[in-house]
Amino acid sequence: MKQFTVLYSLILRSIATRGRVAALGALGLLGILVGALLSSDQVRDAAQFVNLFGLTMVVPLTTLVFASAALGDIIEDGTMVYLWFRPVPRGRIVAAAAAATLTVVTPLVLAPLVIAATLTGAGGDVVLGAALSALFGILAYTGLFVMLGVRVRRSLGWGLLYIFIWEGFVANAGKTASRLAVRAYTRSILSDIALPAPLEPLRLATISPLFSYLIPALIFVVSLAYASWRMQHQDVA
Amino acid sequence: MVENVSKWFGDLVAVSDISFHVSPGVTALLGPNGAGKSTMIRMLCGLTAPSIGRVRVLDRDPRHDLSVSRRIGIVPQQEGIFEVLTAFEFVRLAAVLHELPDPDAAATHALAIVELDPHDRRRLPTYSKGMRQRVKLAQAIVHDPAVIVLDEPLTGLDPRQRLHMIDLVHQLGANGRAVIVSSHVLEEVERFGSRVLVIAQGRLAAIGDFHAIRDLMDDRPLRIRVRTDKPRELASRLMWGDTAVGVQIDGEGNLIVDTVEVTRFRRSIAPLAQELGARLYEVAPLDDDLESVFRYLVDPAAQQTRR
Repeated sequence: MKQFTVLYSLILRSIATRGRVAALGALGLLGILVGALLSSDQVRDAAQFVNLFGLTMVVPLTTLVFASAALGDIIEDGTMVYLWFRPVPRGRIVAAAAAATLTVVTPLVLAPLVIAATLTGAGGDVVLGAALSALFGILAYTGLFVMLGVRVRRSLGWGLLYIFIWEGFVANAGKTASRLAVRAYTRSILSDIALPAPLEPLRLATISPLFSYLIPALIFVVSLAYASWRMQHQDVA
Repeated sequence: MVENVSKWFGDLVAVSDISFHVSPGVTALLGPNGAGKSTMIRMLCGLTAPSIGRVRVLDRDPRHDLSVSRRIGIVPQQEGIFEVLTAFEFVRLAAVLHELPDPDAAATHALAIVELDPHDRRRLPTYSKGMRQRVKLAQAIVHDPAVIVLDEPLTGLDPRQRLHMIDLVHQLGANGRAVIVSSHVLEEVERFGSRVLVIAQGRLAAIGDFHAIRDLMDDRPLRIRVRTDKPRELASRLMWGDTAVGVQIDGEGNLIVDTVEVTRFRRSIAPLAQELGARLYEVAPLDDDLESVFRYLVDPAAQQTRR
């Protein structure tokens, strides 16, 4: 437990720089402002706002910045040797990185998103939908981007490509492609809670409730397991 | 113990069929930049696996046996260091990860050995290069390892810091630890210890006592440029003598002399010029850099010529 605690504390201090927190905090504040201005009692408008601003931008971008840095920065600046060359199970290092990421990202994303959803005045279902979809989105993206930090150099760039090219364009093309993007699952959670029948669901929000919760959790677990395996087998600079 | 180890990255062979073993005391790994020293050190520490061959540290595989890291300390070459930590926090981190019973006391003790203040609240980036090297050494010895590996520990240090680091290395070796130090500077290695492994072009070029290797290096063939106002006369006399194996006159009228009797040549050139009434403007070795020394050591044909 002591090993996990010092690793968690180190990674948390390393990733939560003032610049990052301020920049991404400002993004959240912008969301609150837009939510207040929107002030619509139309549930669909509010859900669409949460989808476009929260699930499309704030959740993936904020998580990417911190998660890709959690191990990616340590590997790229050569300090990983000081953690790797110890009798520490690799999974523990990866778990500490994921925990540190969740610690920073969850309040930075959830707080403004919930406040913004509340300020739209569209009701409790939108707020609950925003919170749960963001939470599962954070979970999936954390696993994915922590793994990306271990797997590739310049993981921030690759992550941006994933968010804007894959999720933004390719996965928007149709139902099948959309299933290969985290956004499809978070959008489905939001749509399921905020827009129950007979309201029309969000576009491409076609995943059944069971899988829309299960798949992000699975992505988190499988990504971190792969990152641990990779840490064990890759060379350390 | 390193047994028939080779390592390649794609088409590039970084280390080729090297075997040696290291005992307690200080062993220096000498070689020019890019010779394969760091790759060798990384394999010794399990940071990368050999392509073929076997590396064992204290009879265990350092790549796959996590417990080996309890017995090894490493001072890596890279500059990167955790920027958010103080020296004490950095060394304590190592102590906690090694699951030492009292990490605070262990960190304080390790910092005392390298003469740093555990109460210093400054973060590591504010430290000088020499202080950072000492902190890196402290984290490597905090768990009292049997084997300590230092990759180019003197790079960037000023003369006083170098002396201090060399003293520390000697102390560690004298205390019964196996200390492996890499360097590309011959004079540094001379100070580190008597046992030397010379690596050049990925191969083990020489192994053994420093002084024997130094003698071999001093006796290698050398090309020397001589600037004089009477090149033809001097060339003629050198050809008749027994210190030069070849003499040429280059486009600028300088003599280019190949010799295998460097010391005798140096002693004889001035009296010879005086005898001919020639002025000597310059006598300079053309291949006295360390690269050429190592090239000579790994080239059996060159050594054969010498003999």
